[in-house]
Amino acid sequence: MSVLAAVQRRIQGHAGWRRIARVAGVGAVLCLAASLAQAVPSYARQTGAECASCHVGGFGPQLTPYGIKFKIGGYTDSDGKDGKIPVSAMLVANFTRTAKNVSEGDKVEHFDTNNNAAMQEASLFLAGRLTDNVGAFVQSTYSGVERKWALDQVDVRYARNLQLGGKETTIGLSLNSNPTLTDPFNTLGQWRFPYTTSDFNAGFGPSPLVESLGGSVVGANAYAFFDNSIYAELGLYETLSKTGLNMINAGDAGKFKGVGTYGRVAYFKDMKRDNFSVGLFGFNADVQPDRSDLGTADNYRDLGVDASYQYLGNRRHIFTVNASYVKEWQKLNYTFGNLAESDNLKNSLNQFRLAGSYHYNQTWGATAAVFDTRGNTDVTRYASSLSGTPNTSGYVLQADWTPWGKENSWMSPWANVRVGVQYTGYNRFMGGSSYLDADGNERRARDNNTTMLFLWTSI
Amino acid sequence: MKMHHICFAICLTALLGNSQSWASGDPKKGADVFAEECGDCHSVAPGKNKKGPNLLGLNGRKAGSVVDFSGYSDAMKQSAIVWNPERIDAYITQPRKVVAGGKMKYDGLPDAGARADVIAYLTTLK
Repeated sequence: MSVLAAVQRRIQGHAGWRRIARVAGVGAVLCLAASLAQAVPSYARQTGAECASCHVGGFGPQLTPYGIKFKIGGYTDSDGKDGKIPVSAMLVANFTRTAKNVSEGDKVEHFDTNNNAAMQEASLFLAGRLTDNVGAFVQSTYSGVERKWALDQVDVRYARNLQLGGKETTIGLSLNSNPTLTDPFNTLGQWRFPYTTSDFNAGFGPSPLVESLGGSVVGANAYAFFDNSIYAELGLYETLSKTGLNMINAGDAGKFKGVGTYGRVAYFKDMKRDNFSVGLFGFNADVQPDRSDLGTADNYRDLGVDASYQYLGNRRHIFTVNASYVKEWQKLNYTFGNLAESDNLKNSLNQFRLAGSYHYNQTWGATAAVFDTRGNTDVTRYASSLSGTPNTSGYVLQADWTPWGKENSWMSPWANVRVGVQYTGYNRFMGGSSYLDADGNERRARDNNTTMLFLWTSI
Repeated sequence: MKMHHICFAICLTALLGNSQSWASGDPKKGADVFAEECGDCHSVAPGKNKKGPNLLGLNGRKAGSVVDFSGYSDAMKQSAIVWNPERIDAYITQPRKVVAGGKMKYDGLPDAGARADVIAYLTTLK
């Protein structure tokens, strides 16, 4: 079985990532990125707090300290009133224009080679307090691009507070479907800017495994938040069976040999007017790409650092900075040893992300971000790269308007909308300023520069 | 007699001085302090409760008495506190010292000036 074919079949979650996988070549990524956009008004109805209490800019998912603590607390805080229904819905529609039409091979099925309008996501959430100590964040999405639904996100938590050494401590357990889904900061894969991207966007290059598993795994995580400052989490992950994957329409990352191990520590300081966090995270898994040929596995070991800063003040002028760096060590025992579809037994990937935002009056937002992914040369693995590397870098600029989401907003907290424009510019794509597209023709990185207009609403 | 007058004057000065410390708070600055320190959990919009009770008309109110707020701790309901500037100041300085067993997850506001400002702001809301 061709691993390329296997990977392409397995990558069902996201059209943009699917295209990356194609241009990246054999098994370069196991990109099963789950839905990026999340906004959950049922939490606001449960707590009585406006969206802006939990989210920077009055709209998800960038969390304030209040939102961070709400998540760590297991989504269970409330205004004390019963009868709240933990259900929300969300819709994301967009129009995408790329600098140059994509090739026929890169065209998304059902759509044109450029200038595409789509109802990208229609999601239903089970999100909120289920019991005094159990809460949920579960998202199911119909993709108007993929033309199918999937169970995107599952994070069901038990949390309780106790005193440890005289300090307030929250401890919890999470049953979840994605290693970085559980994280309370906006620096790791699942919750990092950009919070919505077009499925017609070319993507940001190969990603480390820790943020590429989408809903294809199930994890059991234990975490603790000590003295409102030290966060620690340990998770064990197993891949779903083929039957399980088919039931929820999730992509297949292959089968883990043993369990995947996720670890996370962070120091968080909330000074009310502003706050910061610094942390470390890591993931280790042995992946058997072909379920019909088990035994030999590719090993992926990810180690990252991250940091964030928020100036909130009186909430009129809010500044944030989020940064992360991840290094991935790959030992391709199967891909190199069994299939010879890599030049090297050992490869590495380095990913850097930085985003800064400003929001005025919880309404008007501007965000600038850079992305930079680099890897060593592997001509076979990165077949679409003219240099043999997967190096991809560029920037994202976004301006958005969120008219509601404040305490006194119209129909608060039911009516929520964000309208924005996002521009993605590429300096390098798959190795340099040019690469080979799916039809084998040379294409410039900047041809992928993308402008997206989006409408994101939730109730 | 003269001594009585002196004592009275000292007491009056002390009382006025205390009152003036609240009066010196700036409600405008206090609105910002409220937004930074309190607004995530408390509202001053009429009838609106969040994780914590509404703080509109707090001055002179009995603790634990907002009728449609059901999140009070037993400790708060049984505290017999009637909120006035002095009690508010003591509470927001060290909440757990004033109401041991209370639910409010707040470590306290050590800046006396900021406390005066936010109290001045709250006492203007009726």
